[in-house]
Amino acid sequence: MTVISVKNLTISYNKKPAIKGINLEVGEGSIIGILGPNGAGKSTLIKGILGLLPSETGEIRIFEKPVKEVLKRIAYIPQKEQFDWDFPINVSEVVMMGRYPYISLFGRPDENDHLIVKEVLEKVEMADNQFTQIRNLSGGQQQRIFLARALAQESDIYLLDEPFVGVDAKTEKAIFELIKELKEKNKTILIVHHDLSKVKEYFDKVILINQTLVAFGDTDIAFTSELINKAYGGRLTILQKAEQLFKN
Amino acid sequence: MADTIYKFLVEPLQYEFIQRALVASIMVGISCGLIGTYIMLRRLSLIGDALAHSVLPGVVIGFMISGKNPLSLFAGALTAGILTSILISYVERNSKIKEDTSIGIIFTGAFALGILLVSQLKQVHIDLSSYLFGDVLGVSDSDLIMSSVITVFILISVILFYKQLLVTSFDPTMAYIIGISTSLVHYFLMTLLSMSIVAGLQSVGVILIIAMLITPPATAFLLTDKLKTMLILSVMFGIISSVIGLYFSYHFNFASGASIVLTAVLFFAAAFLFSPKEGIVQKYFRRKRNTAVNLTEDILKYLFNAEEKSSVGNAVTELSADLSLPENKILSALKRIESKGLIKGEKENYKLTETGRDLALKLVRSHRLWETYLTEKNIVDMDNIHQDAEKYEHVLSDDLISEIEEELGHPQKDPHGSPIPKKK
Repeated sequence: MTVISVKNLTISYNKKPAIKGINLEVGEGSIIGILGPNGAGKSTLIKGILGLLPSETGEIRIFEKPVKEVLKRIAYIPQKEQFDWDFPINVSEVVMMGRYPYISLFGRPDENDHLIVKEVLEKVEMADNQFTQIRNLSGGQQQRIFLARALAQESDIYLLDEPFVGVDAKTEKAIFELIKELKEKNKTILIVHHDLSKVKEYFDKVILINQTLVAFGDTDIAFTSELINKAYGGRLTILQKAEQLFKN
Repeated sequence: MADTIYKFLVEPLQYEFIQRALVASIMVGISCGLIGTYIMLRRLSLIGDALAHSVLPGVVIGFMISGKNPLSLFAGALTAGILTSILISYVERNSKIKEDTSIGIIFTGAFALGILLVSQLKQVHIDLSSYLFGDVLGVSDSDLIMSSVITVFILISVILFYKQLLVTSFDPTMAYIIGISTSLVHYFLMTLLSMSIVAGLQSVGVILIIAMLITPPATAFLLTDKLKTMLILSVMFGIISSVIGLYFSYHFNFASGASIVLTAVLFFAAAFLFSPKEGIVQKYFRRKRNTAVNLTEDILKYLFNAEEKSSVGNAVTELSADLSLPENKILSALKRIESKGLIKGEKENYKLTETGRDLALKLVRSHRLWETYLTEKNIVDMDNIHQDAEKYEHVLSDDLISEIEEELGHPQKDPHGSPIPKKK
């Protein structure tokens, strides 16, 4: 079943196209990496899928319906800079927002919602910090509470924008384990990622993008040095290339 | 004494206009405290100020149409407020003018229009200064009923729409995804804001009302990091400032808006200076204490190393160079440490006492184990580990140090080859 279908998507900022004519068909139960150099339009693509940015051309359908109708089935984890970390809010309140789609207009979270929040906090090992204000968390912990919020939302699609930035190796591994669990439950996960070294280990498929779509397909096929070079416009440094060789 | 307090606080209450003023002040405290919290968190302070000023022409036009009654005031103010907020975003969205400039143009324009209309007004007499600067002692019964209705409406809205206000303030994208219209919530908040401005018009006036919208919430923000507590504290500071301001206005004939706002600012200053978590006084003393503790430990360690290597340098000069502190600071630190019984001696020739040596041993042990740990685990390279260890040795607990020693398998020497002292 096609989960996300993107047809000829073009999005511009101030008349300069950020992404141009993107076509994608994404099925369920896979982890997909969105890769490309800085400014290639990786975050723009995700925001475009969500309908957060006005598109110039193109059509996006999710579960064969217009995005607006199925938004609640999508969980989105934006980049960390988006948030005001001084906001007077604690960990469990942030995670509870994931339950809001299930609560009526004037309703309050019920026992079940609290139970789910507790469960997902235990899952990301943040139960001890549930009353901590978010400024007082480490980078890895900050990332984990937004993952917890996405889990609490019990969505079918997960869009993650650079979830591993500022995260220690241990947390990265823990986060990735949870993402793999989601995949086993047949969820679709799209991850904007900048570190090329773990691509083969992490992703079933990759989307290589540099304004236009360079390649999309199974990691073995789409993540070749030729295509990577094409996406990065030869901007891959010697060091990165050497790292590539070493890791493969 | 009791008599003076009675005269100051209770006696005025026998007058009906004071009773009315008191209730009006409390209403301002509640409505502005609640709405102001969201205005501050959403960084809309400037828009709040703009709306307050543009309420003036609305009020005057309301009076021109249907005479001087609270309903025309309410309708005029509300229309002006909402229209202004729509105009500001319209100009911003449809030109390359940024929001702050757009706000500046529209609110001064609206305010000027208000003043122009007042000066031309013949049929209705409006006391301009009471709208500009507030006249809490002149609050009428109908003003009071209106501000009470407004306050109750705001209170109920904030309770009912708690979720929507929270999620749109903290994470508008999330709000969009779960189907909450951020612009609907924004304009609803602008409506509530215009209403709270109307409620505060009589007591504080349009020029200073913004202070009641942001100063009490900002004070509360410094004291808590919970939204619900912030709302409650903000209301409390709002009420207390209004009431205190009212008394000063009555006894000393101050303009009521000014005395209310100055009281609120004094509370803010107190929180800014003395807040247990954020206060700068607290921060200053914490920093000073840390520096003193660190300096003591550094000096003890130096003396320990000197004894270990049995070197005979000038302690004051060397410490002064090592720690880049002037010699007189080192000397006074040495005296202070001596008075604690950790070292004894004089001038350049200080020796550790038994207690001092124990403490130094502990520090050196902590420093060297930590360094060893960082190198073993490949956390930083050799050039930097010394500096890193210097930072951490002051804060590592005994338990953690023992745990590190355990994990490293009780090493004898640190990466520089110096012996690691055993726990005493």
